[in-house]
Amino acid sequence: MPLIINQQRAELDSWTSLLGDESAGGEEVLSVDQLSGDLLVSWEQWQKNRPALLSHDGRVGVKIDNDFELGDLIEDLDKLSLIALEFPVFSDGRAFSQARLLRQRYGYQGEIRAVGDVTWDRLRFMHRCGINAYEIAEDRYSDEMLEAFQEITVQLQGAADDPRPIYRQ
Amino acid sequence: MYVYNEREQQLIEERVEQYRDQTRRYLAGEIPEDEFRILRLHNGLYIQRHAPMLRIAIHYGLLSSKQLRKLADVSRTYDKGYVHFTTRQNVQFNWPKLEQVPDILGELATVQMHAIQTSGSCVRSVSSDQFAGVVASEVEDPRPWCEMIRQWATLHPEFTYLPRKFKIAVTAADEDRAATQVHDIGIRIVRNESGEVGFEVLVGGGLGRTPVIGKQIRPFVEQKEILSYIESILRIYNMYGRRDNKFKSRIKILVNAIGIDKFRELVEADWEHTRNSELRLTDSEINRVKSYFKPPAYEHFDGSDAGFENKLKTDPEFARWVERNTFNHKVPGYIAVTLALRVHSENSNNLLGSRFKATGNLSESQLDAIADLADRYSFGEVRSTHEQNMVMADVKQSDVYSLWKALTELGLARPIIGTLTDMICCPGLDFCSLANAETLGVAQQIDERFDDLDYLYDIGELKLKMSGCINACAHHHVGHIGILGVDKNDESYYQFTLGGSATKDASLGKVLGRSIPKEKVADTLEKILSVYIEIRQEDERFIDTYRRVGNAPFKERVYATDH
Ligand code: SF4
Repeated sequence: MPLIINQQRAELDSWTSLLGDESAGGEEVLSVDQLSGDLLVSWEQWQKNRPALLSHDGRVGVKIDNDFELGDLIEDLDKLSLIALEFPVFSDGRAFSQARLLRQRYGYQGEIRAVGDVTWDRLRFMHRCGINAYEIAEDRYSDEMLEAFQEITVQLQGAADDPRPIYRQ
Repeated sequence: MYVYNEREQQLIEERVEQYRDQTRRYLAGEIPEDEFRILRLHNGLYIQRHAPMLRIAIHYGLLSSKQLRKLADVSRTYDKGYVHFTTRQNVQFNWPKLEQVPDILGELATVQMHAIQTSGSCVRSVSSDQFAGVVASEVEDPRPWCEMIRQWATLHPEFTYLPRKFKIAVTAADEDRAATQVHDIGIRIVRNESGEVGFEVLVGGGLGRTPVIGKQIRPFVEQKEILSYIESILRIYNMYGRRDNKFKSRIKILVNAIGIDKFRELVEADWEHTRNSELRLTDSEINRVKSYFKPPAYEHFDGSDAGFENKLKTDPEFARWVERNTFNHKVPGYIAVTLALRVHSENSNNLLGSRFKATGNLSESQLDAIADLADRYSFGEVRSTHEQNMVMADVKQSDVYSLWKALTELGLARPIIGTLTDMICCPGLDFCSLANAETLGVAQQIDERFDDLDYLYDIGELKLKMSGCINACAHHHVGHIGILGVDKNDESYYQFTLGGSATKDASLGKVLGRSIPKEKVADTLEKILSVYIEIRQEDERFIDTYRRVGNAPFKERVYATDH
């Protein structure tokens, strides 16, 4: 799947997703000792396999649903190099709040990746909320879509990219 | 009036180009239908029964004569020569072509108008009191606060994909002409015990399928923290509002489901983080925005104008109009004038071939004429009202007589403001794809039945509101008398509710009984009013009598003869 990171097409994705991966144990205990590299797991997988994931050779990322209570995750932020946020459909905007809270309120420094219904016309809002990586469906990707980040250059209110409203800029 | 600076102007121009490109990609098949639907709604474009409908924002109802002329111009060039003013003080074009919408928006941007967030599940334009700034009793002018909220909400990256639409109203006067209790957030400018000005915040009001009166979430928010408080409310709503069922997704449902106390707790826990942040307003910003709403250059008069007083004595028709259609101004020698944009049968040349003109509709020539009158008599500004009329707020008393003559010519001086035929009426089956029943023809029936002004005045203040479906765009639940169109086997029927109010003493109307066929609507109204006339005491308005006696006597009369 095409991937945009920091407003550019990224050729390589270092992350291996273990989400729903039966051979790796699905939702259950993972056999992490056989795996290396950057692993993306579900919140449940992370809960059940913490020590193994932390000691494996590579980084760890967690994907959360958009009704997930962030409070549970805050303690772990410094151990995670990626948080994937789910945008299930084009009309659903819950993950915008999650992104902004992670980036702006909790100061998360790692990669925040939008997955699911991620297309041209919401990229700028996602960016403003602190998301810096975007997984785009093959048939919706085009190089032109990178223009999305420059379409509107004026920001009246603050967000994760710049907390200052226009009257403080 | 507020004027965009260079950067704000740049924003609306960039938005036009962004939308132009979205339209291009949609027409090229690069954006799927259901996705474009959301994108066009964010920019005010509906697809209606007959054609697209484009809603343009008029923030807190304020319009310059230049903007009026541009609306006239656009309606001539791109539409059928008239526009429709809505109950949220916005304006609609009813027949634009989808491919031309970007050009229309480009035209409008030249006079600082746009369609940003006028529909869709986002924060809509902020509405307010049409007499803001001229009401003697208001704590302060609410419009600068509306403007600050507008700026905060415009293209807000976090809150543009909410569970559902979100409407905010701000008022500063006791009478509450902005209907703050039936908005998602209602803001009242108040003074606390120590004399400090701030905001009482209400949340979770709304009409539609499940009408609810808003609840107070905080009695007092200091001025500089109003944006942070609203942001916290929106965040809780965005995260917890239901998204599985369109009819249960407004904030009122969330507030009712978890209770106002729990909702408040969530908001205030979030507010611990948002208050005292960059969102805090600064003195210089508050003063900057307020500077655009300074009173215009009023002339000094010691009292009422003698010529005006004289005309009141000698011209009873004029006097009658002044009594009905004008409003006291806080500055001596000035008056605020309401233009009646009602359904009426005279003077009509509309395009549906019918004899009546719909509530809130103005033709391009009327728009131009109003712009000229505004320049001549009211500092070049007009206001659209929640009741779908228009106001010239700053007219010299010595000019009122000439203005009245001119408005009479234009068919905008029917002396009916506040009476039964000053009804709010949504477009209904003729224009709206969601409608269950016709409204305009019924409004005409009512208008024709109640054309005796003495009778109308005898009935006195009466808010009649009629919606063509349960979406309640005409706010029938808060009409003293509300009429809801329903569909029974493909026939339009009408359900009456009595006892609603949108002002300070807000209440929801109660259903009178089973619905009534179309040809009986005016009869039914007449029966209801005859009961009122018989049993009212002293100066009781209809709503007062209703509150004293309840539904029963009205119900008895209306359904009696059917047995
Ligand atoms: S109340 Fe119903 S019929 Fe009337 S304008 Fe609204 S959606 Fe359309």
